[in-house]
Amino acid sequence: MKRIAIITTVYKYLSHAQHMGDRFLVGYPHQGGWHKPDMKVVSLYVDQKPQGDQSESRAKEFGFQVYPAIAQALRCGGERIAVDAVLIIGEHGDYPVNELGQILYPRYEFFKQCVEVFEEDRHAVPVYNDKHISYSFEKAQWMVEQSRRLKFPMLAGSSLPVTWRLPDIELPLGCEIQEALMVGEGGSDPMDYHALEAMQCMIERRAGGETGIRSAQMIEGDAVWRAGAEGRWSKDLLVAALSRSDTPQGLTLKDGRTQDLVGNGELPKLVPKPAAYFIEHNDGLKTTLLMLNGAVGDFNFAARVKGHGVESTQFLLTPVPNVTYSACLVSKIEEMFETGRAPYPVERTLIVSGMLESCLKSRSQGQKRLETPHLNVRYKPPEKSQHARA
Amino acid sequence: MRVTRRELLAGAALAPFARARTRPKIAGVITVLHKYSHGQHFVDRFLEGYGWNGTHHHPEMDLVSLYVDQHPEGDLTPDRAARFPSMKVYPTIAEALTLGGSKLAVDGVLLIGEHGQYPRNDKGQTKYPRYEFFKEIVKVYQSSGRSVPLFNDKHLSWNWDWAREMYDTSRRLGFPFMAGSSLPVTWRTPSLEMPPGAKVREAMCVCYGGVDGYDIHGLETTQCMVERRQGGETGVEWLHAYRGENFWKAYKEGVWPTDLVEAALCRSHTLTPAREGFNDIFPTLDDMCRIVRDPVAYRYRHADGVMGTLILMSGLITDFNFAARIEGQKEPFSTQMYLPMPDGRTTLANFFSPLVNGAEKMFLTGKPTYPVERTLLTTGLTAAGVESLYRGQERVETPHLAIRYQPTKESTFWRT
Repeated sequence: MKRIAIITTVYKYLSHAQHMGDRFLVGYPHQGGWHKPDMKVVSLYVDQKPQGDQSESRAKEFGFQVYPAIAQALRCGGERIAVDAVLIIGEHGDYPVNELGQILYPRYEFFKQCVEVFEEDRHAVPVYNDKHISYSFEKAQWMVEQSRRLKFPMLAGSSLPVTWRLPDIELPLGCEIQEALMVGEGGSDPMDYHALEAMQCMIERRAGGETGIRSAQMIEGDAVWRAGAEGRWSKDLLVAALSRSDTPQGLTLKDGRTQDLVGNGELPKLVPKPAAYFIEHNDGLKTTLLMLNGAVGDFNFAARVKGHGVESTQFLLTPVPNVTYSACLVSKIEEMFETGRAPYPVERTLIVSGMLESCLKSRSQGQKRLETPHLNVRYKPPEKSQHARA
Repeated sequence: MRVTRRELLAGAALAPFARARTRPKIAGVITVLHKYSHGQHFVDRFLEGYGWNGTHHHPEMDLVSLYVDQHPEGDLTPDRAARFPSMKVYPTIAEALTLGGSKLAVDGVLLIGEHGQYPRNDKGQTKYPRYEFFKEIVKVYQSSGRSVPLFNDKHLSWNWDWAREMYDTSRRLGFPFMAGSSLPVTWRTPSLEMPPGAKVREAMCVCYGGVDGYDIHGLETTQCMVERRQGGETGVEWLHAYRGENFWKAYKEGVWPTDLVEAALCRSHTLTPAREGFNDIFPTLDDMCRIVRDPVAYRYRHADGVMGTLILMSGLITDFNFAARIEGQKEPFSTQMYLPMPDGRTTLANFFSPLVNGAEKMFLTGKPTYPVERTLLTTGLTAAGVESLYRGQERVETPHLAIRYQPTKESTFWRT
């Protein structure tokens, strides 16, 4: 039975650590059954213990130890590494925010301490890093490099790429994507990150795979609508993406009516502060994320695919508190812990970490387009679909 | 455009163009039109269009007339009439169908008899006037010597005899007739269809809600799957309802297969956490007994021996989950019929979109998108469930539900 260490910022109700960590303790719904991983959580490190902390009560109930340091958690208080896999959940908790608006979650610091143990003990084990790898691409890149150097499997990212899709579509491997657009909502930098990664898991399937990105730009306010009028993002794709939404606001909230938010002119009224994230890939593909706070409350994707027309879908974020989408993600983590192979490349999350940071830098630098030669991240997508569909 | 030889010979080659120019006219006959009433979900999808197949789809037909039975506070009829002058509101059903003239003047009718203030009988059934509306509609059909397709929302009637009469009338007059719930046609997570000809032994829906309200949705959930089994539908011989303490007793005695209940619950996205501080934990039987308020089961036997169970577990879940035992398959076959419910999480009850789309298809083609016999049977099962509960939870024989039919070959649930 594999032994797991959980390294996290906080463990309290509905924190990522709780809803993901608990799945290793009490199981989770998977492919029509209640799946109990054949793994045991043996140690936990929590960086902060706010009100509602559950670390001690979980440890007591499920028979593991909470250690005061990461190295101790990985060694279970002994001399040598004593776990077979590490779950790093650096999400939630009270951490400072930088000038770009990024919350400085200590994922890099956590990961670095794990790597130090791996090196000292000459034994590296699989690591899952929740959400983007780091707020800083430089740090994220270093982290991914360590996994290559020490040859341990690494998985990271959001649950959006692996959750249910409405409809259940997958873009054909090797297709020619002419343009792609994602619509999301919520704050930066948690929700824009999720939206970017959802889009990335779709577009990485294009011919040639991911080729890295050439430039990033983030604009806000009326400039977003002007950019649409000028054809910088596709209105057709926005119509397609919004046609998948179950959450139009405004008149729908008022009296329940369905709306063509693009056609009826309501969009600018509903979204006082739109944001557009423009990404130009090295192979010429241009993609756009529109964060339309006030218009919708879900995450929807559309792309024009040569020979297939417009494809669109909703990434289903199932209800709180079950958030069963995180069970979809945990099954992928478990798969890596079990097999030693990441079911999809960590480079997906690496490039998304970088594109998000560059977009936020663009915003802080007068919303100008930034060249991103450092985001020359190339990778091939998994052949098999990885999202929930069984 | 491809023209068949027969069309050419009949001189009908231009008919599709003619059809394209003359959009079907639809009449809506509804109980109420307020926010999130079934009437609103239907009417607005015809007037405003809706998201479908990746675009904002406008039906290729016009809702030209409306009859609204009640106008409570929050009535949206004046707003919709003012914003869509092409739709006229009439004070009677007959006028809505004749557009104020003397003869039937529409090409299709929507009958939406859900929501509104209607009396309840001593069995707890709300006496929605679907049958009464239907009779008014049919009166116009008969006096006009012409019948047009009719879509009836939810079960046909709370009263079995009336439902049967509605069905028989549609057959006698020969008009296309569709009915039912959105559960058979909504998204599924996962997006699975019952394989045609499957040897289903047991099938179950575990859902929530009340008797004569949501039981019909759960029964339709199961029926749209089991009708695809080997041989098709053969009708139902008896039904036995269990409620409260009797439910738990039956549960513990294994009157229905508890492994299927568990399989269905594993498809839920809304399990009430059985323990404080946990967000998603599978309940024990003790947990279920504590969490579920007023559990209800309808256990019923099809004529070919297939067993069906509807389970209402309000308090434990707020979604519709299906599980079946199929011969030759080790694991249960299961999925969730997913409703993006506007209970705070969404703003649109978009499960009405595939329902409306199914009705639209019938109005365009003159062929029901799926068999009304499905809903005739579930109407009878709902009434039998209510009856069994009313008679103190005794088993009721259902010889009147010897309803045989075949499913559509193609899937009709939302997958695009």
